[in-house]
Amino acid sequence: MRGLPVYVLLAATVTLLAYAHLLNSYWMHVAIIAMFYGILASSWSLLAGYAGLFSLGHMAFASLGGYASALLVQWYGIPIPFGMAAGVALCCAIGGLIGWVCLRMSGPYLAIFTLAFSEIVRITFSTEDQVTAGMAGLHTEPLFHSVSRLPYFFTAFGLLAFSLAVMGAIVHSRWGLFFRAVREDEQAAAASGVRVAQFRILAFAIASGFAGLAGGFYAHYIGILTPSLGSLDLMAVVVVMTIIGGMERIPTAVGGAFGVEILQELLRAYGQWRLVIFGIILLLTMRFARNGLLTPLWIQFVRLGEVRSVPPPPRDVGQEGSRI
Amino acid sequence: MSENGVLVRGATLQKHFGGIMAVDAVEFAVTEGDLIGLIGPNGSGKTTLINLLTGHLIPDAGEVYLRGRRVNGLPAHGFAAQGIARTFQLTQLFGRMTVLENMLVPGLTRPHSTWGAVTKRARTYLEFLNLAHLETLNAKNLSGGQHKLLELGRALMLEPAVLFLDEPFAGVHPHLRDELIKRIHELHRSGRTFVVVDHDMESILRIAQRLVVMARGRKIADGPPALVRADQTVLAAYSGL
Repeated sequence: MRGLPVYVLLAATVTLLAYAHLLNSYWMHVAIIAMFYGILASSWSLLAGYAGLFSLGHMAFASLGGYASALLVQWYGIPIPFGMAAGVALCCAIGGLIGWVCLRMSGPYLAIFTLAFSEIVRITFSTEDQVTAGMAGLHTEPLFHSVSRLPYFFTAFGLLAFSLAVMGAIVHSRWGLFFRAVREDEQAAAASGVRVAQFRILAFAIASGFAGLAGGFYAHYIGILTPSLGSLDLMAVVVVMTIIGGMERIPTAVGGAFGVEILQELLRAYGQWRLVIFGIILLLTMRFARNGLLTPLWIQFVRLGEVRSVPPPPRDVGQEGSRI
Repeated sequence: MSENGVLVRGATLQKHFGGIMAVDAVEFAVTEGDLIGLIGPNGSGKTTLINLLTGHLIPDAGEVYLRGRRVNGLPAHGFAAQGIARTFQLTQLFGRMTVLENMLVPGLTRPHSTWGAVTKRARTYLEFLNLAHLETLNAKNLSGGQHKLLELGRALMLEPAVLFLDEPFAGVHPHLRDELIKRIHELHRSGRTFVVVDHDMESILRIAQRLVVMARGRKIADGPPALVRADQTVLAAYSGL
């Protein structure tokens, strides 16, 4: 992406940051949570959309990152950023390990394996209540001792921007190309010289690290952590956000997170029916727009300001032979 | 290089699947500059042999050597890094990636490769294969014949010492088959080593300088095409006797 779309994005970002203080506390909270989900959806997009690893354990890593940071800060009194960094490192390590354990799994087998892992993490946090306070909730050290949510808003924005910059650099590098090759055909990727096992592990480690980062921030923003952070319900929310936005592009996944989070609030009056509405949107997306609802819009946006070249004269393609 | 220019060698290779012996004590050597036709009826073990010699399968018994070095257990990407390229019986492309991206993947796995240099080389090969005008299309949108050409191009991007082509003519329009044979000849003249697997005797005889015949997992003939064609064992295998 270059040229006009970059300027438009920059202008929109600067405007948003400049006028952020005008948001009331409620909508600022919605925006912060949307950015939290933005990190989760974009990293899940890296894992499932780019590398083709349909993991259902992503929220377990958010939970691990959150608890690791909260407990380290509580036990050792280390600064919160160090606690969050430790949570990220732990999630990278465990994510890589999970990636290694399920090297030969794909599709439903991988989904079920990671779902089982996720449940193990959730039940462990729930059961070990002497350490984690279980379902009563672990009180965490707040990131800022401020009444205003504005510092959290800027922190969430910074973390989201950092995550998108790093993941954007990865998907546009040769690693991104290799992730997609592994997604398309592992055997052909190996025959092309791609270290399939290494890149599968790498995808798990990177995505888990970002999930841990989101979880760490959430822990020190919300102030209380429960094992339900790693529940299948929240995993489903991340999946819905990513698929509705478009799982094969990181910006569309973030767009999906924002769209769904904001819609969740706007439709709050409909109670549980709003979840039915999301289910229907998901079904329609899977049926009619498998690349996500935002992908065509994003493609048009990226092409803004592109100079259209004169198309080349048509080739004679009457016979298959003439096309070689 | 060692063993008098032998690039790849399989020694008494054996592989079975369940109760079926797919490859049974096969000796197979590829020497630099070879253009070998590997033929045999369906189920004779040709593809299994290729899979063993390119790291996609691990032999139950026997050894695989690359330039004289034993490499049993080396993963497929390790073979690719050593310059052993292959195509697949049923074309395996990166369907939702563009033609150019398909070419870039193997190129960028090479050590010290740069995007600029690899892109330039990919475009040269796409020109050679008459696919340059399709570089921005997703690979899944190409015709069957173009799939075969792109897979050949992707293998060439590894700058391989040996190319194993598994049934490159299967299901391909006769006109396109002629073009493929022409390209293989051109590449061979430029110094590439080929092993072309097929069960279509006619196409193989047009290119092979050495013919290896397999039947029921065993190598039953190996030599100049004219001699192998006249071999009674080969005729019997092909007529199902």
